[in-house]
Amino acid sequence: MSVRAITIGYLYPEIMSGYGDRGNLAAIVRRCGWRGIATDVRELRLGYRVDPDEVDLFLIGNGGEFHQRLIATDLADVKGPGICEAVGEGAALLAVGAGYELLGRFYQPSRGVELPGARLFDTWTIQQGADLTTASCTIAQARAGRAIGDLLVRWDCADPGRRLREELLVGFENHSARTYLGPTACALGQVVAGHGNNGDGSEGVRLGNAIGTYLRGPCLPRNPVLTDFLIRSALQRRYGGAELAPLPDQLEHAARDAALARHQGSRPGRARPSRVVRPAGHAPVGAGR
Amino acid sequence: MAALAIDAHLLSGLASEIRRGAVIVTGTNGKGTTCRMLARVMRASGLRPITNQEGANQPRGLATTLLAHASPAGHLPADDRAVGLFEVDEGSLPEVLSQVSPTTLVFTNVFRDQMDRYLDLDYLTRRWERCLWSLPADTTLVLNADDPRLAYLAADLPNPRIFYGLDDTGHHRSGVDHTSDFPRCPRCTGELGYTCVFYAQLGHWSCAHCGLTRPAPQVRAAKVDLIGPAASRVQIATPAGEAVLEIPLPGLYNAYNAVAAVAAATAGQLPGGALPAVTEMAPGFLRMEPVTIGGREVHLALAKNPNGYTEVLRTLLRDGRPKHMLLALNDRDEEPDVSWIWDVDFESLCGLVPSAVLSGNRACDLAVRLKYAGWTDGAAAEITVEPDPVGGLRLALAHAPEGQPLWVVGTYQVLWQLRDWLRRQGLVNALWES
Repeated sequence: MSVRAITIGYLYPEIMSGYGDRGNLAAIVRRCGWRGIATDVRELRLGYRVDPDEVDLFLIGNGGEFHQRLIATDLADVKGPGICEAVGEGAALLAVGAGYELLGRFYQPSRGVELPGARLFDTWTIQQGADLTTASCTIAQARAGRAIGDLLVRWDCADPGRRLREELLVGFENHSARTYLGPTACALGQVVAGHGNNGDGSEGVRLGNAIGTYLRGPCLPRNPVLTDFLIRSALQRRYGGAELAPLPDQLEHAARDAALARHQGSRPGRARPSRVVRPAGHAPVGAGR
Repeated sequence: MAALAIDAHLLSGLASEIRRGAVIVTGTNGKGTTCRMLARVMRASGLRPITNQEGANQPRGLATTLLAHASPAGHLPADDRAVGLFEVDEGSLPEVLSQVSPTTLVFTNVFRDQMDRYLDLDYLTRRWERCLWSLPADTTLVLNADDPRLAYLAADLPNPRIFYGLDDTGHHRSGVDHTSDFPRCPRCTGELGYTCVFYAQLGHWSCAHCGLTRPAPQVRAAKVDLIGPAASRVQIATPAGEAVLEIPLPGLYNAYNAVAAVAAATAGQLPGGALPAVTEMAPGFLRMEPVTIGGREVHLALAKNPNGYTEVLRTLLRDGRPKHMLLALNDRDEEPDVSWIWDVDFESLCGLVPSAVLSGNRACDLAVRLKYAGWTDGAAAEITVEPDPVGGLRLALAHAPEGQPLWVVGTYQVLWQLRDWLRRQGLVNALWES
């Protein structure tokens, strides 16, 4: 069998890689490499168009509102149509945090008019945190209302082979915006611990092989099942078949189990909810070390 | 809140009693080292600096520092040679400046660090800019010309400013590191171009869109010689002349600290003859700090953010000779985010570390990071996970061959635990004795 290859479209690498997001790219490239699958990473910068036939797997990471303002129009108008078409044809996509927020209908900042979304997902996002584009608030005020902490999600994972499995995903969340799902949107999964989309128990969104999520960490290295879902989807689109050799994942599972273990103890067998930082005066704001 | 209010009163009252005023050093990395260098120059100039302990760099820590120097009546002794020299937490600068008016304010650099706490670098710098408007008109700003955010910091402010930077382009790298926040042009948000990158986003930059360019530094490192993992020589030009500084610390990041300290000394009009006194500084607590354990040479190096971690590792492995390491990672209380390790450039160091023991409460996450950096491919490195720091140290010593030094690189909590254990073994002095 000839060497299989997938093309990864890495969106706005120098703008939207603010929180270790390159780890998600590394997870995909490495897990392909260990299986002899070649990867071609295309950096999709401001102004570049997306050829929907070219990219098998899109990645977009995190940034602040400043970064969202830089890319919103380009993502909605220049790249959005190509991304939507590719996902409609089975391409895989992972959008995290700020990138997830901009793939919905719109993003409403704390101040000013809404930013356009790429309208891939039937979601919208309202910023409820303090306005960080002025500096008039203290760090404690800026942190107020943010969802910060471990985020554990029960994912109903239907892979392209239609084998229905339930998986627990682990990650970290840190966001003050709230994302709401429209009538045609499906959540990625249910929150086991943490805050998720908006506190209603749902987390992320799933459309075909495209996933939007607040899971950071970065999320793919500690959740190889999610990484392999994306790789398998990309192969399925490119070749119509997607056999993946299993890999030894002891280190990944140890890291995942360590995150799960942090959420046991206070109530055995139940996960401890992560903290939503309360307004100034009540928040145990980091006092250095 | 009442205690804080008392602290504020104490701090502003006591700080105003320091005869020669105060120098404040802030920024992400290098605050402590820059202060230690500057303290040597101040002493050699006949001044008596009052300095705060590392980590005691928020308002309460500063108040405590000054109280320790005060009489029972709550006043500082009259001393015409006393000068304040404080490192200040970058997030606490607005609060500190509302209570202390420095004569000189030094900014080292702005890197990603504790993003769950400071949220956003642009937000952090906007908070700085806002509080700078309350400074006295004669406070001198000492700014890193090579860091775009700092070079243009509060550009409308009429205060005197001294820029410093590296001019020795022999140390350039191929491009901006992923450890940096890829700053856009601080004036027009256009994309920045570089003729020379030293590390992260530090270098000789300009904006093709609006033409803003790195300001020519008045205090500049004309030549930097990196001499192994324990020393460097920096030739610094100031408006008053040149000085060659022998520094008992390695790496380009310490060259930046040296040129920042000299720029601060220039702002304070300290005599040029006092500059070589930086040679006498001791390598600071946990800054490649040497320890001997059972006849074995061990160095402790603090690395707490992507840029610091990357530069410490690059500096150690620069000579291309394999090094045995204990790499440690902890998260902070209630802040379980360690995503920053994915921005550390472990990839380029693959193959240079034959044995690594990983320790700390997030050692498993570090193991995954190194696996995806290729460290476990084809047994490039032997990796062992031992979350307990002391157990990890014992293992690492056992894995490193006799006669080879062990390098311990890690975050604060783990190194603190290790150092505390070493102190109880009588192998290092307590922090307050060093």
